Amino acid sequence: MKPSLSWLTDPEVFRVNQLPARSDHVHYADEQDLKSESEKLYQSLDGTWAFLWARNPKEREKDFFLMEYPDDRFRTIQVPGHVELQGYGRIQYINTMYPWEGHAALRPPQVDMSDDPVSSYVKWFDLEAPLIGKRVHIRFEGVEQAMYLYLNGTFIGYAEDSFTPSEFDLTDCIRPTGNKLAVEVYKRSKAAYFEDQDFFRFSGIFRSVRLYALPQAHVEDLWARPVLARGGQGRFSLELQFSYEPGFLGSVEVSLQDAEGLPVLNDRAEIDDSVSRLEFASRDIGAVHPWSDKTPYLYLLTVRIRDAAGRVVEIVPYRIGFRDIRIQNGVIKFNGKRLIIAGVNRHEWNAENGRAITVDDMRWDIETLRRNHINFVRTCHYPDQIAWYGLCDEAGICLMAETNLESHGSWQKMGTVEPSWNVPGSDPRWLRIVLDRARTNFETFKNHPSILFWSLGNESYAGECIKAMYDFFKDRDDSRLVHYEGVFHRPEYRPSISDVESQMYAPPSRVGQYMESDGTKPFILCEYMHCMGNSLGGMQYYDRLFDRYRSYHGGFIWDFIDQALFVTDDVTGERVLRYGGDFDDRPSDYEFSGDGLVFANRVEKPCMQEVRYYYGRRIR
Amino acid sequence: MDVVYGDVTLGVHGKDFDYIFSYQTGGPESFVAGGLEWLYRTPKPTFWRATTCNDRGSHFPHKASMWMGADMFIETTGVEVLVDDAPLTGFLAPDNSRLIGSGYEHPASVEVRYTYATTTVPSATVTVGYRVVRTGDVLVLVRYEGVPGLPELPAFGMRFVMPSLATGYDYRGLEGETYPDRMAGARRGTFSVSGVPLTPYLVPQECGMHMDTDFVIVSRTGTGDRTARLTFRRHDRRFAFSLLPYTALELENATHQEELPPARRTVLCVMGAVRGVGGIDSWGSDVEPAYRIPSDQDIVYSFVISPSQR
Repeated sequence: MKPSLSWLTDPEVFRVNQLPARSDHVHYADEQDLKSESEKLYQSLDGTWAFLWARNPKEREKDFFLMEYPDDRFRTIQVPGHVELQGYGRIQYINTMYPWEGHAALRPPQVDMSDDPVSSYVKWFDLEAPLIGKRVHIRFEGVEQAMYLYLNGTFIGYAEDSFTPSEFDLTDCIRPTGNKLAVEVYKRSKAAYFEDQDFFRFSGIFRSVRLYALPQAHVEDLWARPVLARGGQGRFSLELQFSYEPGFLGSVEVSLQDAEGLPVLNDRAEIDDSVSRLEFASRDIGAVHPWSDKTPYLYLLTVRIRDAAGRVVEIVPYRIGFRDIRIQNGVIKFNGKRLIIAGVNRHEWNAENGRAITVDDMRWDIETLRRNHINFVRTCHYPDQIAWYGLCDEAGICLMAETNLESHGSWQKMGTVEPSWNVPGSDPRWLRIVLDRARTNFETFKNHPSILFWSLGNESYAGECIKAMYDFFKDRDDSRLVHYEGVFHRPEYRPSISDVESQMYAPPSRVGQYMESDGTKPFILCEYMHCMGNSLGGMQYYDRLFDRYRSYHGGFIWDFIDQALFVTDDVTGERVLRYGGDFDDRPSDYEFSGDGLVFANRVEKPCMQEVRYYYGRRIR
Repeated sequence: MDVVYGDVTLGVHGKDFDYIFSYQTGGPESFVAGGLEWLYRTPKPTFWRATTCNDRGSHFPHKASMWMGADMFIETTGVEVLVDDAPLTGFLAPDNSRLIGSGYEHPASVEVRYTYATTTVPSATVTVGYRVVRTGDVLVLVRYEGVPGLPELPAFGMRFVMPSLATGYDYRGLEGETYPDRMAGARRGTFSVSGVPLTPYLVPQECGMHMDTDFVIVSRTGTGDRTARLTFRRHDRRFAFSLLPYTALELENATHQEELPPARRTVLCVMGAVRGVGGIDSWGSDVEPAYRIPSDQDIVYSFVISPSQR
């Protein structure tokens, strides 16, 4: 297939040769690999890459991906990372307005091709020994915002959706040594209309890149379905999908162990290369320890594939949890008790590296959340790095897992509702794109017990496309609730989108009004207590709503961490924090991204003790 | 205690203190305690706080900006002197000459009371009395007289600017930075703060308030590296204070931390009223009504400044 630049603005084309979204499990080659967690079937491509940057597609080096393109023309860049933080292009912070506001008059799906920076990345690599001779896939965890992939001069595929993994099969083009991987990343595409989050506008390969080899038989997808039934009884079922090298014959073993390593369940089935899907039917497993924010009890599921001779071919471990969330008589019940959300919205942020955060950053965040009795995080407004979800499973941080969708620039104009060209709206052109985003979010993270809600996105108004996203989640997953706030502006969609009544920044009195005049759905505040600068106060007015209304479930403070960047001050030579407008980025929303409970350098703001007090009263 | 009836000032001297109250600058011009001068300039009432993000979002400064001028410029309209709580007449030149060698020079107490008129339209009246007793303790009595027709106050208090940066302060009250609508989570206790920290909000703004305080002891380095202290303690009710290296207007003017000048002075505000910080949103919602400062009602409070070095 020949790649085309027209894909950037073609609503029909948003994934080309991309592998279907799948669960985020890690697979191991053998017992030793599992024990040492060496992940020897994986090969990281993070580090220094060769790099070229152009202001727009016209100025780019079109042939950079070819084997014969001269190496000495490249500069270098670090992966993962944003190119703007490494000296290429402008750093920009803007909230609602689309980033081209005042520079180009565009309507979806148009892109200003005179200002669409192109990052051309090249990585030369040899395959590590355990990967040689096997099927090899590549996973980009996050590339902003549209990417064309080439290997050894051959076009491999195309992907959008900056915040979910993009995977491709490299088997046909890969060789043991001397591989040239080339990625052409576009800062703007039609995806920009769906990725108008209130954040710094970056581009580039900002999350990890890994190759992984597939054993002769491989678990492509797993969907574990632990059920916490009445009386603390557990039920368990499992759905597996496989891929094989031709001719495989063997078996798959499934075991479930509790946290002490005691067996809870063992099962086994014969498989061969014709079995692409296998289901272990639901069965009772007796009393289980429930997973909750207070006791994040995890069971270890292990899937082992053996060949006909009984040798281990692949091992997939996954930690799962038994918990139950449902709406009963207008009240959200979490493991049978009224759900209390002592929550916060969290952007991924680091003042040095932007959204290219590290696991250490995540661990600090989790410790800070726990220490301050914050039990719930909304992943605003995109899926986070994969590691985050597992850390939340372990720590007992509940999640509202949001889909990568925010389009407020298409219907909010200077604070008024003006949806004349709202995306996605009810426009059938956008249906597949937003459904794909929902599907990828779901398929990737479906096994995490910490996720209690799926969220369709943020501030994207409402219409048939978002309704279809809601229907997708409801159809695929009956073990979680689905959240969306945007119906606030389109009451006719209230019955058909969102399981809960969600509002943002409602004053306490408006919450009371809803409760007393309507109150048919449980109520949550998906954003409240806007913590911009020195601005958190009056929490008691929200706190007392818990006592007044059973179906008030709390909310998510806006937000966890200030988004600001360290730069060296020209005048003093000191490292200082800068924000929107400081990079000659105009128009800008300036300090509007400084709304955290913690400063951009991960120091708690003084108001945290107040949050700790009110949240602690409710969740301890 | 010796009182010096000068031509331009009134001096009060005791074993451990030397104070000079000025008729010219409109307030105390010198407080020497522990061998150290504590006043950079004459303290005056303060009416402004560096606007918070929520203040700006709710357009509060547009309504209240008159108080910014009042904070910067204030007219002294009168001075009274009370000796042993009785009004003294004829303390200004040339009548003061008759007081030299009189029985008025060694009273049990002397109070200098200043009256100020704000530059707002309409103008409001503030009186501040400093009543000194033999121990050197100064009872500061502050009264804002409410006037109809003025915007809500961003703040009301007394601002003391000290000539150098404090080495730290100790206070008994609430832990951390507290405001009337954000103090439930604060532990009560005695806390020691090193240096004069400024909370590094992305855009410099009002910060560092401590509600419900019993006392604050400010420490500065005196002669020969000896630490000198000045204590501000409650008289009847507890007070709020902030101790920062900048005035509200210096903070207001900066858009980044690094634009603030080098920290060289100590700015202690002892507050009679503190506005809440709110939290509903940053684009229109005001703080809850209970945490606003109405300008048409009197604000009366008092505190004691003590030179004791113990």
